[in-house]
Amino acid sequence: MSLQDPAGDLETADEASAVVERDPDELAELLGDAVIGREEHVNAPGFVIRSDAVQDVLSTLKEEAGYDHLSVVTAQEYENRYESIYHLKKYADPTQEVSVVVPADKQNPVSESAEPVFRTADWHEREAYDLVGIEYDDHPDLRRILLPETWQGHPLSMDYDKDQPQVVSLREHANPLQADHREDESDTMFINIGPHHPATHGVLHLKTTLDGEQVADVESDIGYLHRSEEQMAQSGTYRHQIMPYPDRWDYISAGLLNEYAYARAAEDLADIEVPEYAQIIRTMGAELCRIAAHMLAVATFALDINGDFTATFMYAINDREQAQSILEDLTGQRMMFNYFRLGGVVWDLPEPRAEFFEKTRDFLDQLPGSVEEYHDLLTANEILQMRTIDTGILPPEVAKNYGATGPVARGSGVDYDLRRDDPYGYYDELDWDVITEDGCDNYSRLLVRLQEVEESAKIIEQCVDLLEDWPEDDRTIQSNVPRTLKPEDDKEIYRAVEGAKGELGIYIRADGTDKPARFKIRSPCFSNLQTLPEMANGEYVPDMVAALGSLDIVLGEVDR
Amino acid sequence: MIGLLKSMATTMKHALDGTTFTVEYPDVAPDVSPRFRGVHKFSQERCIWCRQCENVCPNDTIQIVQDDQRNGEEYNLHIGQCIYCRLCEEVCPVDAILLTQNFEFTADTKDDFVYNKEQLKNVPWYKGIDPLNSRNPDRGAWVGEGDGEVDYQ
Amino acid sequence: MAVGLLDAAPAQLFPEQVTNALGLPGVVGEFVGALIAAFLVGNVMLAFTGVAGPWAKRKITAAFTDRIAVDRIGPFGLLIIPAAAVQLLAKELIIPEGADRPSYDLAPLVLPASAMLGFAVIPMGQLGPVNLQLADPEVGFALTFAFASIASVSLVMAGYASNNKYSLLGGLRAVAQNLAYEIPLIVTAMSVVVFTGSLRTSEIVAAQQEALFTVAGVTIPSWFAIVNPFAFGLFLVANLAEIGRNPFDIPEAPTEIVAGYQTEYSSAYFVLFYLGEFLHIFLGGAILAMAFLGGASGPGPASIGFVWFVVKVWAFFLFTQWCRSALPRVRIDQLIEIGWKGMLVLSFANLILTAVLVGVIAS
Repeated sequence: MSLQDPAGDLETADEASAVVERDPDELAELLGDAVIGREEHVNAPGFVIRSDAVQDVLSTLKEEAGYDHLSVVTAQEYENRYESIYHLKKYADPTQEVSVVVPADKQNPVSESAEPVFRTADWHEREAYDLVGIEYDDHPDLRRILLPETWQGHPLSMDYDKDQPQVVSLREHANPLQADHREDESDTMFINIGPHHPATHGVLHLKTTLDGEQVADVESDIGYLHRSEEQMAQSGTYRHQIMPYPDRWDYISAGLLNEYAYARAAEDLADIEVPEYAQIIRTMGAELCRIAAHMLAVATFALDINGDFTATFMYAINDREQAQSILEDLTGQRMMFNYFRLGGVVWDLPEPRAEFFEKTRDFLDQLPGSVEEYHDLLTANEILQMRTIDTGILPPEVAKNYGATGPVARGSGVDYDLRRDDPYGYYDELDWDVITEDGCDNYSRLLVRLQEVEESAKIIEQCVDLLEDWPEDDRTIQSNVPRTLKPEDDKEIYRAVEGAKGELGIYIRADGTDKPARFKIRSPCFSNLQTLPEMANGEYVPDMVAALGSLDIVLGEVDR
Repeated sequence: MIGLLKSMATTMKHALDGTTFTVEYPDVAPDVSPRFRGVHKFSQERCIWCRQCENVCPNDTIQIVQDDQRNGEEYNLHIGQCIYCRLCEEVCPVDAILLTQNFEFTADTKDDFVYNKEQLKNVPWYKGIDPLNSRNPDRGAWVGEGDGEVDYQ
Repeated sequence: MAVGLLDAAPAQLFPEQVTNALGLPGVVGEFVGALIAAFLVGNVMLAFTGVAGPWAKRKITAAFTDRIAVDRIGPFGLLIIPAAAVQLLAKELIIPEGADRPSYDLAPLVLPASAMLGFAVIPMGQLGPVNLQLADPEVGFALTFAFASIASVSLVMAGYASNNKYSLLGGLRAVAQNLAYEIPLIVTAMSVVVFTGSLRTSEIVAAQQEALFTVAGVTIPSWFAIVNPFAFGLFLVANLAEIGRNPFDIPEAPTEIVAGYQTEYSSAYFVLFYLGEFLHIFLGGAILAMAFLGGASGPGPASIGFVWFVVKVWAFFLFTQWCRSALPRVRIDQLIEIGWKGMLVLSFANLILTAVLVGVIAS
């Protein structure tokens, strides 16, 4: 693998100190009397802290210990308390993790908001408030985020009455057709972009305030596609019933990447080994999915910039089609694969193997030509350059503050890729590069995706070579996993993989049964979408559309 | 300017080379891979009514009714609700339920998609492909089918 | 057509030919003849749009995107044209609450009407003995531009009257765009007038008939596109912006402002807009052919001139569709910038250069 020497990669002394690993005792000392207890999660040490010291603790960890990435906020309710867990990492080295556990009172669940320290906590805490019911002090805008504002109760709390009908009459909402004129002197115009709009890539609703054609303010309204994916996972068994659902989070052909996230979390939770052979197949399948997903991202980005009827869209969809056709041969389905199993994959490569290898190689052989075409159609085109260079700027510091990951972060020069930095599967045995671009604009994000397609192709090629020469008597596709999995009570884990859109993480808390007690999905799109106002404010409407396209969100994953 | 011309040249190249990827469905039946998962086929003769498929089904698509002797009476499957995860086939010890390649089904109402065991038995193979071999070539060995053809009728 | 306005035209025009052929006497006869002629020409143009909208556009786009497109009904899928007509007209006409009528109802009429009027003065060449030109006034060339620019009035009316913010944005964009491109377009066209010394459309075409030079036995005609390719390029770009096609389809811009000024239009009104847009493309092609591509001239006898004219107009249509599949859309402020800071300056430079050259040659 092309991992550069870690020391050689560090440019400043600051960064070097950020990567220095401190043991939990040192951290506890650093945090002082805010810590009221210690926990041990499978992935990281956990510090239980006072609910009024959240900002102090997080800013100490961020400023002094270098934990600059708030992956996700998990909220849950226990018999005797509420709890928010802040999963912190370092952008420079995501294997260094720490969980900050904030218990809150059962009767009056209030804890301090982390929003002033990490901007990304804004939405994450709103979601925790919405679904679990914890209130965050000092939060700038604590409203429901996924459910309608008139919703009664918090569905993931223990006293939630599932049989209670949720009648939301139109009267209780603002009438969208009502004449609405607020100030006589106002120069701005409010406009709803979405939930049904050609450029919102699904049911996203952007409440936009326009000053002429320029965006004065934009606020995303999400939740139209909320399907209770977390709760569904909590009612499925580890062994079989959860795996079909990750395919449906980021449903745009990134299925195997999502399955990888669940597989990695659950396997680490239950100490399941995966045979090497199965890992190669997994890696190959996941990268095929990444190509398919990036192709769609490029295709829809072209739609946003070029307008409907652009040929680029069809060419990219056609290339994606070929990746899907290979995936169909491998997994039996084009998008909803359900191919991974805990401990391996469900099937070996399809027979005849030679035919499968040939088909895959043919695809890889024509891929550079296709990418070259996209460069001709898009990146080399002066009008597209005019449209995308220096628009939708996302500076690296802002990107980190919002927890942006994936091509969005890498387009801002943040060198963060879990495949390399927190290796799983077979990635660390293979030779490939992490792509970053320093432009921080829409153009850079497009470039990153196009180049990542080529890197994925490299990975697949190496996997195919390995699989072709793999000894016939050592093709174990699944390790021996008990039919019913019951991880130990109170075992907690947060594990992430590099999905098509960024860090896709799963938090699982086991309670000794065959179903998870809490299943939390860290969706990269959710965090990435939060950066939209930073990119769009002050830009023209077309540039906001371009910025949204370059974020490459999938509402199925944003809303879950 | 060069970039614009390149873009225009690329699209014109595609227009002139005449290749298309349209599949003229339904005049041409599209090829599906041997592992493709479509509508289920159920064999009452083979079923041992162990109810494992019903248990494993992630969204309660399969409903089995047994009498007090644990003899199977009904086997209903809501193909409109099914997510085609193939877990039922995977856990079935006797290959009584299989997912064919058949993806063509229509109905006037949602209720018509609830197939009973007779309807499930009559689901045709797509292009005559028996999916069992292609999916898991070794499987026949441990199922112990004997020498004859598998008879689903 | 206003035959009365005509002064002595060099050749017999189509309305007069009709009047004479039918033997109709007097002013009333001329009037009836003119009506029949205009009806025939108008129908030819409408037939073009009928073929272009539901069928040719799909087929062309499909070719660029590696697909097949309509091929199920009739030979080459041609029967999709009546099918689409029935489908569109059978739809419910929805008029939004708060729409500003009658402006809302007039807008879809103004757009096709303005384009149709433009064809009145365009010399479309001969088809057999028939000379397909409805009128040939002394200021015909200016008249076509005047008619063509009425279109932007329609877009503003539609955008304003729809009581929809997207429509309003589309309407405003249309004004800004038309202002920015109308002037370079006309200034560039004026360089053609400098060559011919006449605004009469038939003379502009006639001036392009002489041979420029002969290379290896092939006679190159003095089409202004060949004489002054720079002006041709400018005119082509300005023309694309004028008719609002990619990369300048900003008033519609489906991925930004839904469908711009036509967001709220449905059924027959939508069809009228659709027709109007295609008529506009064809009018743009006709002006281009007339001013720069020698009008109806081409190899073969003059009696098949109309065929060449049609080929040139359709070639322009093909070009717009080609741009549509290949080129990104520019942003509204960039478009204005290109229009005012780039095209306007270039078009004046071109005009002065042409004037100087013509002056030098004349002296």
